[in-house]
Amino acid sequence: MASVPGSENGSNVIVKAEKVNKYFGSLHVLKDVSLTVRKNETVIVIGPSGSGKSTFLRCINHLEKINSGHIHVNGHLIGYLERNGKLVEDGERNIARQRAEIGIVFQRFNLFPHLTALENIIEAPVHVRKISIDAATADGERLLSRVGLSEKRDKYPSQLSGGQQQRVAIARALAMKPSLMLFDEPTSALDPEMIGEVLDVMKELAQEMTMIVVSHEMGFARAAANRVVFMDSGTIIEDTTPEQLFANPREERTKQFLSRILH
Amino acid sequence: MYHFDWEVFWKYLWPPSALDDPLIRTGVIVTIVVSIVAQLLGVIFGLFAALGKMSKFVPFRLIADAYIWYFRGTPLLVQMMLLFFGLGVTHIYDFPDIVFEGFKISGAVQAGTLALAINEGAYMAEIVRAGIEAIDPGQMEASKSLGMTFGLAMQRIILPQAAKVIIPPLGNEFNNMMKTTSLMVVISAAELFYAFEQINARIFKPFELFIAASLYYLAMTTVWSIIQARIEASLGERKGIEKAPGMLERVFGMGPRTSRGEPITGGH
Repeated sequence: MASVPGSENGSNVIVKAEKVNKYFGSLHVLKDVSLTVRKNETVIVIGPSGSGKSTFLRCINHLEKINSGHIHVNGHLIGYLERNGKLVEDGERNIARQRAEIGIVFQRFNLFPHLTALENIIEAPVHVRKISIDAATADGERLLSRVGLSEKRDKYPSQLSGGQQQRVAIARALAMKPSLMLFDEPTSALDPEMIGEVLDVMKELAQEMTMIVVSHEMGFARAAANRVVFMDSGTIIEDTTPEQLFANPREERTKQFLSRILH
Repeated sequence: MYHFDWEVFWKYLWPPSALDDPLIRTGVIVTIVVSIVAQLLGVIFGLFAALGKMSKFVPFRLIADAYIWYFRGTPLLVQMMLLFFGLGVTHIYDFPDIVFEGFKISGAVQAGTLALAINEGAYMAEIVRAGIEAIDPGQMEASKSLGMTFGLAMQRIILPQAAKVIIPPLGNEFNNMMKTTSLMVVISAAELFYAFEQINARIFKPFELFIAASLYYLAMTTVWSIIQARIEASLGERKGIEKAPGMLERVFGMGPRTSRGEPITGGH
């Protein structure tokens, strides 16, 4: 594995997942998953459906509970307190505070349909961070122009295309000034002609953000990723650079998967 | 053949003369105010019961279930008598008269309003819950991922959207509420029907008086139907409810429909 143990390099490590296990009922969906992501890295997670990649991503901001293991983001244990070696779920307010530092972009955008593009973006800064509406609006307008949607500020999500909605969703997550961005198959629900506009925003973002992206966009992986992680049946099979993975995958399962998605 | 007494009928129907009678004047005011207050309280009780029913915390769920079970499973009339006379005789609460801003609010009106509200809450609980459950779970996830607590997400994101689903059946509930206030006559609360009963006890013209009384209720529910249609039309512009039905359709009893063409109805 390319990762460096977090302790020596503490300030540099953003995400450190250690031996994460998760069950859905009797189904073991994550098996001892460990992953370290350092500042400004962009890590792409690929794998067949049901491999646990989205579940793992959702554990990082505690949208899913874990059964054992630890996930640290910025040195803070996510979602749990450790008492006598046992994990006890943390209080709601602490979890909310941790989530505010982690942006996530969903496959189905999940914009708030009763709010305009700008209102979607300033909702959490104003009501969670308690920033003044004026300051949040100025910030929101900057973010909208950054994702190329300044002229859509007063449109409702239903008046926007899928690609535009996803770009607003990215701006909404960025408005909280997160130190980590998670993307859960951000382009899978989009029509093909809209995928490019979202990936362009993400490529630019990858220059300066720490990102974990669950996606099958191999072009994006080649252009923007520092590492590609291949997951199958709840375990990380390979964790390497995009060049290495596409040119010379080590594991048989990786080869099979790549040959299927690259036809 | 029965001789219909038009003079009495008009005297107690036509507002300028009817509202001159202090009983009817008070009755109209009490009925309208009690309807609004009981409905508002009912929505609040219903909201808490709905949240209780959806809670992960088992005791909350049990309390909410028991509340809904009891108050939907027993007659409102009995609940009202129990609350007013039952609490009175045990001296748990005597419902003393309250003077508020110069208006005397009798104990019977208080007890009646409370009974109506508690009963309504049990019905509103299901309506509110259906409204909340109609919202995509992705909305709660997105709210939480932005650092919102459950309460803030409910208040800012989920309930404003659920309101659009809740408001059409809520309007129907209010229509029912205005009529149901007449049950308060059994605890002698000075509402509209009580007024007509009192006048009837004096002059014994039940046919004329009760027709007049029914027309008062009809006027109130009709005015409300018109207001309701306006509210729904303004809501329907942006979401879900495809098209508010026309006024005539509404007044003569065809309710609003969901986007799938199913009627939206209240719980009763």
